This record gives sequence, structure tokens and C-alpha cells, in this order.
Amino acid sequence: MTLAVGQTVRRARPGALARFLHRHEGWRGYLLLSPALLLMAAAIVFPIGMTLMMSTWSLSGYDMDTTPGIGNYVAMTEHPMFRVLILRSLTVALTCTFFTVVLCYPMAYFVAFHAGRHKAIWLIVMTLPFWTSYLLRVFAWKVVLGYEGVLNTALLGLGIVSEPVTALLYSQTAVTIVLAHSWAAFAILPIYVSLEKIDKTYLEAAADLGDSPARSFWRVTFPLSLPGVVAAFVMMFVPTMGEYITPAMVGGPDGMLIGNLIQAMFGPMNNWPAGAALSVVMMLTIGLAGLVFVGLNRLMQR
Amino acid sequence: MDVLDQLGAMREGKLSRRAFNRSLFAAGISVVSMPLLPRRLLAAPEDHATYFTWGGFDIPDYFDEYVAKRGELPNFSTYGSAEEALNKLQSGFVADIAHPCLSDVPRWSSTGLFQPVDTSRLSNWADMIPELWDVPYNQIDGKPWMIPFEWGQTSIAYRTDMYELQGEESWDMLWDPRYAGKLGSLAQGADVWWCGAIKAGVPFEQIHTDEAFEKISAVLREQRPLIRVYTDDTTSTDTAMASGELVAMMAWNSSVVSLKGQDVPVKFAKPKEGALTWVCGMMLHAQAPMIDSAYDVLDSLISESAAVFNMRDYGYGGVNRKAFAQFTDEELSVLGLSRNPAEVLQAGHFGIPQTAEWDRRMTETWEQIKLGF
Repeated sequence: MTLAVGQTVRRARPGALARFLHRHEGWRGYLLLSPALLLMAAAIVFPIGMTLMMSTWSLSGYDMDTTPGIGNYVAMTEHPMFRVLILRSLTVALTCTFFTVVLCYPMAYFVAFHAGRHKAIWLIVMTLPFWTSYLLRVFAWKVVLGYEGVLNTALLGLGIVSEPVTALLYSQTAVTIVLAHSWAAFAILPIYVSLEKIDKTYLEAAADLGDSPARSFWRVTFPLSLPGVVAAFVMMFVPTMGEYITPAMVGGPDGMLIGNLIQAMFGPMNNWPAGAALSVVMMLTIGLAGLVFVGLNRLMQR
Repeated sequence: MDVLDQLGAMREGKLSRRAFNRSLFAAGISVVSMPLLPRRLLAAPEDHATYFTWGGFDIPDYFDEYVAKRGELPNFSTYGSAEEALNKLQSGFVADIAHPCLSDVPRWSSTGLFQPVDTSRLSNWADMIPELWDVPYNQIDGKPWMIPFEWGQTSIAYRTDMYELQGEESWDMLWDPRYAGKLGSLAQGADVWWCGAIKAGVPFEQIHTDEAFEKISAVLREQRPLIRVYTDDTTSTDTAMASGELVAMMAWNSSVVSLKGQDVPVKFAKPKEGALTWVCGMMLHAQAPMIDSAYDVLDSLISESAAVFNMRDYGYGGVNRKAFAQFTDEELSVLGLSRNPAEVLQAGHFGIPQTAEWDRRMTETWEQIKLGF
């Protein structure tokens, strides 16, 4: 009995932690954030730290020599392979990002301004292909682009070509096409959101003041949708730059990108330190490119 | 009416008594019948050994004996190349049994990750063809490191109707500029590098020398522009051969069997320089957690029925002597096999074990050549 009484008394007074949190508002925020922060630390900060550390190691036989050094980075400047593959990845990623954004803008524009009551349906239809697995979509593209694929059969049937076009599959073109389709949803949605936010009264005002629809698009709608366009650029460029599975499946010998070399280093070549260094260089490249996009956006906003 | 609807209806007090009773009835039946489900669905995977193997060998057909004894299949984990498998094992992955090839044995056993096999625990060992495992480097105190499972050749498969043969069958076929962009190749160095050595005329005894590296790299670089695709995925290369996208490719026995099964006019070449021959099999992990089950897996894999399946459906040589009774000499010859495996293995070039340093240098060079450098 006495014990129970004691407990009730203790519960009535706030504990040390509760008092601390009551006094310091900032810590309350951190406490609320802590699950997310812990996950971030465990799943992002720690692995990146490991990658950075490992990139300074070197190999000795089957083991890793953990004395720090910059040998892996020096090797990268010496061998042309790294430069060529990074440049190729940049080219492929920029090309497919550019075309996807250009192709997706009208779609997003349509949904934002002209879809009326059926917006939700249009959005679902546009994202429908993304309900299946990424791998399946790449496989489906192999069927479309293949030697006896849908496209070649159609071209042969129409008499446009006399022999199947082999350049469709196992080429950089194939990689660009498949990537552009695979990541299209990531371009449509940010553009749609930024278009949707535009206050329609601006457009009415522009019309009242005598702007033609084309002029009001270029002077009002387009500049206001730029943040979405930049977001779409970044969201597509980052994953396509490091892409591995698409080039591995449809790239052929000349369509391999930097991601495939990184995989080879962690896989068959078993040179984890060099692979880690290459990953760091790739992350820096992507980071730099991202900064350029954001900088361009700032310039255009002025 | 699904479960969520029912819960919603119940919360709102709208569920009729009849509907409520029906749900209770359904729930009751499921609870009562759960223990009656076959054990197969309920067995914990911890009950069985894990077999770490190439994709394509993780099929029930090899495990008739195992299933008869233990009721279910063992666990599988698959890989794309043997180098990849060793890397994974070295970074801490534990599988009771792995699947390398004979010439990998010294390199693999030196890692300390494996234990020799006690053959007295294998009931089918008496029917094993000894030539397939009896080499000095595969033994320690009379016990084998690796138990053979399949043997065969890496050679050229070609479309007899589309590839116009000039003179004898030879490795030059895969270096034929007339068919640029219509030739295919395997992707892993464990095959390609050695075939490159045969083409370059480098004897396997000298494959470790710097000169050999230069010569082999040179022929493989010369070949690259002619190759449409490098892959170990036989499904995609077989499809490409069937459609005529490829007219000749570096291949294992299984591709020829699968293509012939589809009535594609295809032949497994007997190159005049000789094919690459190999024996692959199972090694037992030093810390195999399910050792008893692992021995049953090994026993099942060297059984007569597994060997028959290997020869009939994949075209690989079986290791169980009894299995050969079911094939005529002619059938075996078409598959590139023989009742006396040593005959085939010695007629070709058999891989020689190499050091870890060699393997690293070879893989690195080969991966760079594949990428175009």
C-alpha cells in the first residue's frame, strides 16, 4: 500500500527530463526529430563517411591496406577510362534529362490548366507505368527495341527498312530512351506542382493588359514555373547520372556508364577502395552539376 | 466485403448479425485449418542448408533424393560469376555450399573459408567418375576440396544456316569481320580470358607471364568492335541466336541444347585449336551451419537423376557413372560429351590454377577491355 502511495506522489511531480524539455524548446524539436535523424545518420551519413574513408585505402592481395593515401584519386587522373566514362555519363544524363523535361512540360501544363475535373485521373494515368517494377520496365523496353521487337517488326511491316535496325538496342541511344521513359514521372510531377500553384489572376491580368496567350505564357507562366523545371532537372539528372541497371541491360559494349564501372569494381574486380574513390568523384560531379542548376535558377529568378 | 469494410461497419454499428456470424465462421475455419496446411508452407528455412550457386542451378530437378529424404528443397542463393561469389563469401556471407570450378580450388581453399569433404558421408560417391576430381591440388589428406557436379566446354555455338564456314571450325569464327555486330561473347574473364589465350596461341602453362597478358589483351581488344553484346545471361543470348540477331557466339553446352530444342539450326563447334574445358562442383563452407543437411545436398547433386538431368536438359557432362547408360554414343557426341570424360577434357584446353594476384590482374584488365580501354 505504502509503495503505491509513493508512486502516485512521484508521478505527480514532473521528472528531470520533462522539466528540462519544458525549459529548452530547441531540444523538444530535436527529440521529436530524433527517429528521423537517427535513420539519416545510420543510413546516409555513416555510409558516406565509410565510402570517404575507404576511398583513401589501398589493396594488398585479397586484403585492404587501411593506411590513408590519395593513390586511388591519382590513378583516376592518369587513366583515360575514368574521364571518358564520367563524360559519357554526363552526356547521357543531360541529354535524357533535357528531352524528358521538354516532353513532360506540355503534359504537366495540360493537366494543370486544361484537365478540369479530371486532374486526378490524368495524373494517375501518367504515373501508371511506374506502378510496375523498374526492372520490368527496362525488360519491356528490350522487347520494344529488340531485333525482333515491336519497333523493328513495325518498321519491317511498313516496308521502311528491309532488315531489322540493330542500332535500336545495345547502344547509347537505347540507354537514353529507356532512362528518359523510366524517370519521366519525376519530371512531370514537380513541373505540374509549380504550374498548379500559379495564381490564375495573373494570367487574367496579362490578358486584360493586352498580352497575347503566347506572350503571357513566356512572360508569366513560364518564369513562375521555373522552380519546378529546375526541380525536375535535378530529380532526373541525379539518378540517371549514376544509373547502373539500364546500361547493363540495354547498353551493349559502348553504352556502359560510370555506374557499371563502379559495380565492376565492387563486384568482379574486387577493388573496393578504387570503387569508393570513384563513387566519391561521381557524387562530387553530381553535386557540382546540381549547384549549376540551382545557380541558373537563381539567375533567372532575378 | 473485405476485412477493412467489415471493421468499418462494425465500428459504425451497421454490421448485421448475419454478416458478423459469417465473419466469425470464416475466421474460425482459418484458425482450425492452419495446422493442416502442408508442412512445406510452414517449415522454417533454418531447417535446411543454403546452396550458393549460379542462377539456373537453383531448380528442384537436382534434388529428388534430397526432397525424398527431407521433404523439402534446400535454400538457394544465386550469383552471376564465380569471382563475385568469392567476394561475397569473403565479405562475410555464409552459405553451406558454394559452386566454383576445379581450377579455382587452390585459390578458394587458401582463403580458409572451406573445409574438405568427408566422402564417406556420401552414398553416391562410389559412382563418381574419379578423373573429374582426382588431381593433387584438389586434395588434402586424401579428402577432396571440391565435389564435381558438371563438366563441359566453352566453345563456339553458330547458326549453320547463317554463318558461312570457311575451312575448318576455329576460334577465328568469333573474330570474323564479315559478321561484325552479329557475334556474341560471354562476359566473365574465367571463360573469355582463357579462350583469348587459345586464340592468341598462348599455352596455358605460360598464361601468367607478362607476354601472355599483352598477347591476350591484344586479341580481345581486336575482337571488341565485332561483338554485339557481352553477357553471361544465356537466356538473352539464346534468344538472340534464335532470331538471327547473333550468328555465332562463345557459349557453354547448355545454349546448344536449348537452341536445338527450339529447332534452331545450330552447332557446337569443335575448333581446330581446341575448346576450353572445365569441371565445376561444390565446396563446403568451413563454418557450414547446417552441415548434415549440406551433406544430403551434396549427395543429391551427385545422384544418378541429377546427372541425367544435367546431360539431357543442360547438355553438361554428368558426374555419376550410372547416368551414362541412358545415352547412346551418338547422343553424347552431339552434346560434346563422352563416356570417358578425360578424353573430352584432355582434347581441349583445361584451365590451370592461378594465384590471387594473377586473377586480380586478369579481371581488372578484362573489365577494362570490355569497357573499351
